Amino acid sequence: MRTVTLLAVFLAVVSMCPSGAHAQAKSTSPPTDVGEIQPANPAQFYKEPGYSPYAGKHFPERPYFGDEHVHTAWSADAGMSGATLTPEDAVRFARGEEVVSTTGQPVKLGRPLDWVVISDHSDGMGVIAEIRAGNPELMSDPTQKRWHDMMLAGGDEATKAMLELIQSQANGTLPASIRDPKFAKSIWEKNTAIMEKYNEPGRFTAFIGYEWTSNAGSGDNLHRNVVYRDGKDKADQVLPFTTFQSENPEDLWKWMDAWEKKTGGKLLAIPHNGNLSNGRMFELRTFLGDPLTKEWAEQRQRWEPLFEVIQMKGQSESHPSLSPTDEFAAGYELWDRGNLTLEPKKPGMIQYEYLREALKNGLVEEELLGVNPFKYGMAAGTDTHNGLTADEEENFYCKFVSCEPRPERWSEDAVKFGDRVVKGWEITAAGRTAVWATANTRADLWDAMKRRETYATSGTNVVVRFFGGFDFTPADTKTRSPAIAGYSKGVPMGGDLKSAPPGKAPTFLVAALRDPLGGNLDRIQIVKGWLDKRGKAQEKIYDVVWSDPDIRTKGANGKPRPVGNTVDLANATWTNTIGAPELIAVWKDPSFDRAQKAFYYARVIEIPTPRWTAYDAAYFKVKMGKEVPMITQERAWTSPIWYTP
Amino acid sequence: MDLPDLVHALKRLLREPLLHFAVLGALLFALHAAVSPRGTAARGEIVVTRGQVESLATAFERSWQRPPTDAELAGLIESWVRDEVFYREGLALGLDRDDVVVRKRVGQKLEFLSEEATDAAPTDAQLEAWLAAHAAEYAVEPATSFEQVYFDPARRRESLARDLERARASAAPAEAGDPSLLPARLESASPREIESRFGPAFAQALAGIAPGSWQGPIESSYGVHLVRVTARSEGRAPALAEVRERVARDWGSARARAEKEALYQKLRASYRVTIEPADPSAVTAAK
Repeated sequence: MRTVTLLAVFLAVVSMCPSGAHAQAKSTSPPTDVGEIQPANPAQFYKEPGYSPYAGKHFPERPYFGDEHVHTAWSADAGMSGATLTPEDAVRFARGEEVVSTTGQPVKLGRPLDWVVISDHSDGMGVIAEIRAGNPELMSDPTQKRWHDMMLAGGDEATKAMLELIQSQANGTLPASIRDPKFAKSIWEKNTAIMEKYNEPGRFTAFIGYEWTSNAGSGDNLHRNVVYRDGKDKADQVLPFTTFQSENPEDLWKWMDAWEKKTGGKLLAIPHNGNLSNGRMFELRTFLGDPLTKEWAEQRQRWEPLFEVIQMKGQSESHPSLSPTDEFAAGYELWDRGNLTLEPKKPGMIQYEYLREALKNGLVEEELLGVNPFKYGMAAGTDTHNGLTADEEENFYCKFVSCEPRPERWSEDAVKFGDRVVKGWEITAAGRTAVWATANTRADLWDAMKRRETYATSGTNVVVRFFGGFDFTPADTKTRSPAIAGYSKGVPMGGDLKSAPPGKAPTFLVAALRDPLGGNLDRIQIVKGWLDKRGKAQEKIYDVVWSDPDIRTKGANGKPRPVGNTVDLANATWTNTIGAPELIAVWKDPSFDRAQKAFYYARVIEIPTPRWTAYDAAYFKVKMGKEVPMITQERAWTSPIWYTP
Repeated sequence: MDLPDLVHALKRLLREPLLHFAVLGALLFALHAAVSPRGTAARGEIVVTRGQVESLATAFERSWQRPPTDAELAGLIESWVRDEVFYREGLALGLDRDDVVVRKRVGQKLEFLSEEATDAAPTDAQLEAWLAAHAAEYAVEPATSFEQVYFDPARRRESLARDLERARASAAPAEAGDPSLLPARLESASPREIESRFGPAFAQALAGIAPGSWQGPIESSYGVHLVRVTARSEGRAPALAEVRERVARDWGSARARAEKEALYQKLRASYRVTIEPADPSAVTAAK
């Protein structure tokens, strides 16, 4: 039986393999990962050109920026906190249209998104649609037949029908059949209809999706956003999985598997807020407390290609207590005091909450189980609960209606349980997922997410390329299109390198171009994690390329001198007179051991710019407490490239 | 979705002494009914209709993609009865009142109902009128195809002007540029696409460049560029057939909003709304 299932999984995975973009020549890895199945075929991406270096290119030429995590008034807690914006409003806003926020403020995005996932919840809904549609069983009742006719007439007549219906309810004369639940149409179908209407392939992608909101224990965040590759026809066949049915992620994976088998469609899930899971997001045992198995690791890797590393409730990429020498993790958007209900953390929890540590533990587990359970690429979203994916520092509409722009919002309690409080200023204006896809369609973007060709940003539209291979040389940084060298000589972010040729170490081509409206770049770093000879996971951060290297030489601590700071807090402005608009480098791992498992990912750091609190202070003319950070360094994290001996 | 607020609200509710009192009262009442000799003090009747059972089974099947077993169905029914009992008892205690979740949810469902009821198909005349009134939103955008060569001022420094001059005069200016992640060419790009990749200054300058030869330099957010516009199509007003889906979507969306508002106004008109001022001696009625 298991063989049959695995075979089915294998076939399913092979058949969905989008373009084999990550494939590496000597791949013979497990069938659970799209990126490792097809042998490399560089010609797929890059044919030898004639005069034009660009003819025949089939690789992704630009990243598409989006938010995989948006709630509207249709999510119970968002509605409860006063949000009135609907999924339709949210999609319109994400596309760049002006809408009016719940608090009555006109608002528009500075840089519209290319795609969005509205991740609300589903619930039952009334019978009216059936009356409108003229369901014969309901039409046998003369009142319902009359309402049906009035609804079809539209306009005033339709409104009158509604008023009559409400009146008849008050009088106790409502037809009994109107309450028969078998006619209930789900809000889910209404939601998918909206996404269908606003999905315009090539122009703007509106994904169908929902959030599965598992709060184990007293609010240990195990939430996952489920993203559909397909449209309404498939999505409507099955209702979303809810935590009324199960809080165990394994049951969600089973549900996803059954969904794919039934509909022939494709799903993936993106977990988030490990920082609020009180040690459970990346724990080294199952939800029920059993030891991890190979099968469990395969399932997790199969269904969860990406992890959300930053959003409005802080970042879950790295923690200063786990990475004490990482000066960019220290004090950076940390929500690390408790879980969702702010139940305080106990010692030992944090090591199972942050992705960098999980990537390291993934190597350890792979050694034990044969499969890496935590093979995550990077994603980011807002998790906004007011329908506004407004994560720009100078245009921040916050997570809740209660903290939409107002002079006091920085000082108020954003989350409060007894004396445990998170303050308004602690909310993070982030983030976005950048997807390297060949076109802006559901299928192309989803395939790229599945193969992890993505990077997360703190809200900036910085462009980042990251390729790994064994043959990159500094000359590759000098070509007119570094991507051609990248795809033809290596694998992109999210991919795999296997068995290094004798005497060779992995080389990485990494480049970043700043957001056209954002701050210049301070530096690019590569974060390496590996298993040492004793099987213990290690990490090291390398500064690979930075601006003004002639002036910013490395100090005694081995790090480039700080880039400086041009932020004018009084006016909440900065200048791009420091840093560089673009950085590119080839980096070779200086301490590579071809027998050791490893992963590498790039982190791009911008120069200091005003944080949203600084824009608030300047606009509302308020003075904030000393504890409030006013300056931030926006950043991006690429999906890792893994090396497996 | 977040739990904190919900949990917070629940915890607060559970700490209400009045609630403890009420629940205790209800329990005593139930106990009394249970132990009373005739046992006829039924709180009401719960009929699990065939339709309800079917609905539970269907909902199960739609999530798990198989029908429930008999045991599972029995469990679903029992769980439904349990919810119903608590729900009714809660209603009897008035726990639905002044509850922001319940109020929002129920109100929302009414809005959904009205949307469903008034969701009608537009006529061509209605769509034509909408298109005419909102022509700018549907205009086919101008499209520009162009090549660009990037020069990095930080790298070129004093030689920048000379290098640009030379490159523009040469047969293959592209060879003279600096490497960059910027696209060397874009095909049929909209102003928005150009702006999102090169910044607003570049997009504006490019709009003034005549097609044909290499021109520039023009500035972007990154440095300076030589550009050659290879094709350009002007914006134009589309026929309805070209944008029908979008027009119908936006027309329907605006109409739904208007009708929801109309429904609200009509319903509100049937209420006399009184807002008590801070000073109780000056109550005013607002119609």
